[in-house]
Amino acid sequence: MAQEFNRRERNPTKQGAQVLSLRTKMPFIVHKLSHMERYFGRLETVLALILLIIGMSLLSPVFLSPRNLMNILLHVSVIGIVAVGMTFVIVSAGIDLSVGSILALSSVIAASALKLGVPGIIGIAIGLGIGAICGVFNGIIIAKGKIPPFIVTLGMMGIARGLALIIAEGRSIYGFPASFLVLGQARLGGQWPLPALVFLVVVILGHFVLFHTRLGQYALVIGDNEAAARVTGIHINRVKIALYGISGTLAALGGLVFASRLNAAEPTAGLGYELDAIAAVIIGGTSLFGGQGSVLGTLVGVLLVGVLRNGLNLMAVSPYYQQVAIGLVVIGAVLLDRLRGGREAT
Amino acid sequence: MVSMKRWVIVGLLSTLIVAAPLAAQGTHITAILKTLANPFWVAMQQGLLEEAINQGLSIEILAVPTEQDLEAQLNLCETAILRNPSVLLVSPITSLNLLPCLQKVVELGIPIIDLDGNLPLQETIDRGIPLVSQIASNNFQAGQMAAEYMIQQLGGEGKVIAIEGISGNITGMTRVEGFLSTIQENAPGMEVVGRFAGDWDRLKAATITADVLTAHPDLRGIYCANDTMALGAVEAVIAAGKGDQVVVIGTDGIKDARDAILAGRLSATVAQLPYLMGVMAVQTAVKVMAGEDVPLRQDVPLLLLTKQVLEEGTEPLLQYIR
Repeated sequence: MAQEFNRRERNPTKQGAQVLSLRTKMPFIVHKLSHMERYFGRLETVLALILLIIGMSLLSPVFLSPRNLMNILLHVSVIGIVAVGMTFVIVSAGIDLSVGSILALSSVIAASALKLGVPGIIGIAIGLGIGAICGVFNGIIIAKGKIPPFIVTLGMMGIARGLALIIAEGRSIYGFPASFLVLGQARLGGQWPLPALVFLVVVILGHFVLFHTRLGQYALVIGDNEAAARVTGIHINRVKIALYGISGTLAALGGLVFASRLNAAEPTAGLGYELDAIAAVIIGGTSLFGGQGSVLGTLVGVLLVGVLRNGLNLMAVSPYYQQVAIGLVVIGAVLLDRLRGGREAT
Repeated sequence: MVSMKRWVIVGLLSTLIVAAPLAAQGTHITAILKTLANPFWVAMQQGLLEEAINQGLSIEILAVPTEQDLEAQLNLCETAILRNPSVLLVSPITSLNLLPCLQKVVELGIPIIDLDGNLPLQETIDRGIPLVSQIASNNFQAGQMAAEYMIQQLGGEGKVIAIEGISGNITGMTRVEGFLSTIQENAPGMEVVGRFAGDWDRLKAATITADVLTAHPDLRGIYCANDTMALGAVEAVIAAGKGDQVVVIGTDGIKDARDAILAGRLSATVAQLPYLMGVMAVQTAVKVMAGEDVPLRQDVPLLLLTKQVLEEGTEPLLQYIR
């Protein structure tokens, strides 16, 4: 089964001659790629995840216990939510380095509001609003100012982190109403952690938006060839603003889950999450140069790292080695793609 | 060919799993530290490990990559308790980030020992997370010891300053308060001309020192809340040509500071003994497992390191310096 995937064309729109008819050709591209791989990223990654799960369950007797499996889902939920947003940005050939800082800023502002006595749901709405504003700001500067996303979001990374520290006065904000704690601490049916379900809902919605709405398809087309997308009349600026808005909003959602789980908002939360999220997206088969990728692939990437980390923790492997192992997985995942004839330097 | 390479890579990925060492099963204690990318925690890890071997006890020592990984440390804690340790030794990154996990630990009836005093005792009781013991250095006492040596060296006279860490950080504040209150109470002839925040940073401490020396050329003493800052201050003092006039005292007892003391550049440092902290923690855990009473608060001794102490090498606590 795997053989036939080797021969498929990864990137049929690259030729200049095809550019003008890009829009009409899109359904054709859709059918040419295998559905499975288009939706799940590389099948090898899925296979590696399955192997990893089998391996871990052999090595650690508690690995397959329901409580540990629920823990894994809980532990990957924050980074997973952030990574789904990152997927949208990366398929459009962009990058968002500000997600960790936006996560902290929105949780700190929501926490301050909760401390003033607003109900949990309003606190959540405020937090999401802050994330959306930061993301849309990123998008506007990138689209209208024609500044590379790396630079703009690097700037936002500093701005949002600084504002979070200013608002929280460098300290953590502790103790929230029960109406807010539900988000991070509730367990449906006494077992399923709500953050994990929030993450899965985000994945399903993200998948739908990427593959079944014009926004998602435009994001892929822009990532594949922005000049061509412009010629076809796609409102590139609007699409980009929306994509960075999604990324900011999901970063905020991650921050709210984080704060609710800890019953505390920390202005230093989420440091380095941008890199963890990017790693999960890349492992999941999304190209760092845009044009191809999937949300379900990101789910696989997030789970691969999460299962690896959980298993290594269960076996009490030193954190030194854990970082090496996760680094190898990132490189290995992309190397796989190269070896099987994917396009260069994915 | 391509296909074969692919399977080779998949195989390599999966050997990661097999290559991972098998952890000990059965009765064990678990220690969750902050990060092992810092000599303080590495020394504590050695103490924990070596004393556990002495006691014939199985220990799991866990940590996260950096001191910013709040959520990763919480996840680590939740994973570790699935393996049912007999005692949990913890050093939370903030006073709050492990609380959700520690609540579960209490429900499971696993005794908790705080390493390095990051959990305020009263707050843990208020939040229903009673500790069986807290093993930490007394930071106030560290400042007091530095002040006593400073008074002795300067004959109770002259201008001094204190440099704490990041503004608002409790550890640095407590050390500097111990220093300043001792100076004020015991040496009326000394004048404190400033208290600064050096952000634990060598260069910042050097800049502060140079500025203060400009404003007060007759400055006689500098106390820094860690050794890195003290080493920066020493460089500024020597650059100003006042190496033999100003007494500089650091805190922690890191290797660079001990070398600087032996070289006659730094005057002294108040050494913490993280290795001994690890040893005491394992001994406490053993007592807890045997059902013996242990004190709620245990101070790890501090050791004033001067050129004389280091050269003589007779001080028994020196064996715990790593």
